[in-house]
Amino acid sequence: MSERISKANIADPKTSFGSGRAATRHFMTQRLTAMANIAFTLFFVWMVVRLAGAERADMVAVLANPFVAIVTALLIVNVAVHMRIGMLEVIEDYVHDARLNRFCIMLNTFFAILVAGGTILALVKIVFWG
Amino acid sequence: MTTSRPRPTSPHLSVYHFALSMILSIVHRITGVALYVGTLLLMVWIAAAAISPEALEIVHAIFGSWFGQLVLFGYTWALFHHLLGGLRYLLWDTANGMDHPAREWIIRGNLAGSILLTLLAWAIFVWF
Repeated sequence: MSERISKANIADPKTSFGSGRAATRHFMTQRLTAMANIAFTLFFVWMVVRLAGAERADMVAVLANPFVAIVTALLIVNVAVHMRIGMLEVIEDYVHDARLNRFCIMLNTFFAILVAGGTILALVKIVFWG
Repeated sequence: MTTSRPRPTSPHLSVYHFALSMILSIVHRITGVALYVGTLLLMVWIAAAAISPEALEIVHAIFGSWFGQLVLFGYTWALFHHLLGGLRYLLWDTANGMDHPAREWIIRGNLAGSILLTLLAWAIFVWF
């Protein structure tokens, strides 16, 4: 480990130990999104089993359904929030160099936004333009 | 006054008696990371469907190859394992089911359930 935990740096978000301010919120958010993900996962499995290998017309017909489109959009946002916090914990545990730690945390956020944003854009295209 | 007793040490992985819950703890994290990367598969799939039939054909060719199917099968297991593992941790958050032998059965159920649900999902996919 490159630096030791001390009173001076324990809650400093610039170190690799994680933000002391956000920790409780992350803890709660992770459990709330986990509970929501129970239902979302069952929906997701249904969607994949229903649409795996399907023709484009079939996929568009199912995904353009308002219920399916909205639930899929909520799913990807919920998953993005959950996986971002999960990966943040992994980064805080294993990436000890403070600068690299912050860089990884930034990439983590970009990845979560990319996946959620990309999926929602694709859904919007399907819903409004087929 | 000196004493011959060793000073207390900070607990670390090596001081604990081996338990299956340790393996499932790290497996929960590994499946979480795998699912993290795997969200790209969902995005690529839906994006391809949004773009054109040709783009979807390419994704079908990749996902439908033996390697793609292997990855998707592993992804299915990771998803169910992480789902059941998440339920296990939500239960343990309430401090229920932590005693022996309840915890051991919960862990075995986690492992067996994830394999069973994976096979079930693929059976439905292949046969229906």
